[in-house]
Amino acid sequence: MAAREPRFNQHVLIDTTPMPANIPKVEEIGASSAPLMSASYFIGARCQPYNDDFMKCKTEANGRGEVECLKEGRKVTRCAASVLDDINKSCLEEFRQHWTCLDNNNQQLWQCRKLERGLNKCVFDNLKLEKTIPGTPANETPVHLRKKQIFAHNAFSQ
Amino acid sequence: MGVPFEALIPYGIMLAMFGVSGAALSKIRHMQNGDKRPRHSLDAWDKQMMDRDRRLTGFLRGQSDTVRAPAGFELSNPWRMEPTMT
Repeated sequence: MAAREPRFNQHVLIDTTPMPANIPKVEEIGASSAPLMSASYFIGARCQPYNDDFMKCKTEANGRGEVECLKEGRKVTRCAASVLDDINKSCLEEFRQHWTCLDNNNQQLWQCRKLERGLNKCVFDNLKLEKTIPGTPANETPVHLRKKQIFAHNAFSQ
Repeated sequence: MGVPFEALIPYGIMLAMFGVSGAALSKIRHMQNGDKRPRHSLDAWDKQMMDRDRRLTGFLRGQSDTVRAPAGFELSNPWRMEPTMT
């Protein structure tokens, strides 16, 4: 369990040993950082129980949970892959526009709220998933629903 | 008496020189980042995600929204070795 970055790293080692045969094979998610950032709240909306289970398993294992938490990890991967699959099938254009905007803006969600509104509406209509920010105080508008984004660079993309 | 424009020519030259070199550097940085604006304020999470993007697509700023990773992705995360004293 590496806790720090290696110093003076020159060589790498790639271990091609396959996983044991008794572990079910789950394909890794092929989405990179901007699409994952864009879909993150929808993955959270559908997969919250599995994600909470995985986080609880890792927290309780106290740094040694790589093998013990494989089962919860497989559930997380399958659920996130299902959300991405559904978004690709139903809302591909809005999704692509939103993550292209995020990629141009340092992955900052508040620069791309206009496109995010379109994506949220499309996903809510087709997949019934709604983005909520956990921990919002009850008497305040959530940040993604506000009219004016105070840190956005230009007024067009708010 | 008009504006002494000959005296302002050196300032114009300096402005043009700074402008051209700044624009050239900015264009080079834009091209180096895959025709996107460069990223800033990167923390360890962002660096790790960009390393994952490089493993997925081959480019540091490449993005893909496929659901399944390409074959061999699960094995491409290397152990980074460091030299020891012994």
